[in-house]
Amino acid sequence: GVIAFLARLEAQAREAAVKQEELERQEEKLTRLKRRVEELRLQRDELRAKVDLQEKGQHGKEGVVSESAQSSAQAVVEWKIKSIKAMLQIFYLTGVSGKLTKRGVCFCISTAYEGTYLDSYHVDLLTKPEVQIHRHSIPIFIPLEQIANKYLQTDIRRFLAVLSEHLNAYVGRRYQAEQLQEHFSELMEGPLQKNSLCNLLVFNYNVSRKSKAFPLNARLLYGDLCRSLPTEVTVTCTPGAPAALAELATAHSDLFRRVALHKAFRSFGTAEESME
Amino acid sequence: MDNNTFQDYENEIRSLEEEIQLLTEMYEDRQQESTFFSDEEILMARRSFQGEFHGGSKGLESPSDLKAQLESLETDLSFLMKFTGIQFTNHSKKTVERTRNRTVRKHRLSGNCHSLSFQLEFQLLEVQNKENVSAVITDLSIILESGEDSDVSKFVSSTEEHGNLLTFFRSLSSYAEWYEHRRCTFLHFK
Repeated sequence: GVIAFLARLEAQAREAAVKQEELERQEEKLTRLKRRVEELRLQRDELRAKVDLQEKGQHGKEGVVSESAQSSAQAVVEWKIKSIKAMLQIFYLTGVSGKLTKRGVCFCISTAYEGTYLDSYHVDLLTKPEVQIHRHSIPIFIPLEQIANKYLQTDIRRFLAVLSEHLNAYVGRRYQAEQLQEHFSELMEGPLQKNSLCNLLVFNYNVSRKSKAFPLNARLLYGDLCRSLPTEVTVTCTPGAPAALAELATAHSDLFRRVALHKAFRSFGTAEESME
Repeated sequence: MDNNTFQDYENEIRSLEEEIQLLTEMYEDRQQESTFFSDEEILMARRSFQGEFHGGSKGLESPSDLKAQLESLETDLSFLMKFTGIQFTNHSKKTVERTRNRTVRKHRLSGNCHSLSFQLEFQLLEVQNKENVSAVITDLSIILESGEDSDVSKFVSSTEEHGNLLTFFRSLSSYAEWYEHRRCTFLHFK
């Protein structure tokens, strides 16, 4: 009776206390969050104002000087460090950059297809007792050893130029194949077959999304490893195909030899439009 | 007091923190781009930069660390210029856009390769992907000395049209050597 009743009252009181604590904790958290948001909003607004002033040209050199009577030597040194780093990044864009190491130089060869920069590769050279390759990230299907044997000892610049030619051509071929698969998949019939060097491509395709009855077969051989256009192109059509397609196959044999693959495919769309 | 309210506040906090980071980076970039110190000022700063130690915004780097870093960077740059034959005489850039994933900068670059001088302007778009940063050149404009040669002008136009900055530099190197060689040969016969 009484004891049970008292026990129940005690339990209720405890429950109420726990609920009260929880409520207070939540309120506290909410206040904290609100305050943080206000802090950050203020900080953000100040920054926006700073950037706006900067844009209107009110800062410029003064901005740095206003920190103290003259720019601290540290600020100048830090500025110079940043500007040299920016210069070194520009060298990356030129295709050959590098860094001196304790025992030689580590060169970085960058690749690009037109304006799009793609993979970069490293060649770590030791210069004593003679020039040798210490480490590299050149793919195995690029004839690195051949190129090194021919040029490394006599003309490092030439070595890098030839290697860069091979790498840029490989990356260019690979890029065209990837663009084809990415942007023209609805014209492709089955998978695009290629080797790791991307100098042999075989695929079936249609020229229009509407007529898929007689796919064409293309075989592209890139005989010159320093070029991203093929040296041999064979385009055939399936037996029973209309004469117009046979003519198209001949035209494409020539087209693929002159125009980059993805650009050639882009021209199909416009040719189709002009025919309608 | 429901979880949604907390979530909303937390989301706003995160987005504000990100915006603040971007604005700070944009501000610092523009500061860097619009400031210029002459060689004498830099020399003086390096000499006097001994006792100061402000910690700095990037963590605690001692004066000797910073000086060593500067020297190492300068050595690398001077080696590259000598090795490639490409000397940059002026470089300026302007950050045009800065969002979480994209940065767009306008670059102006002048220099020479052996005795051939050039001036370039281009826009560089950098996009942060999952694994790496991709870079694309647009609006490339090139002024190359010896542009009277029609083959060279054709090369320059085609390079500009396709944003082929890399090809430009790779070709420039070999063309400049040939041009220099030809110039010396002609002088020899004068």
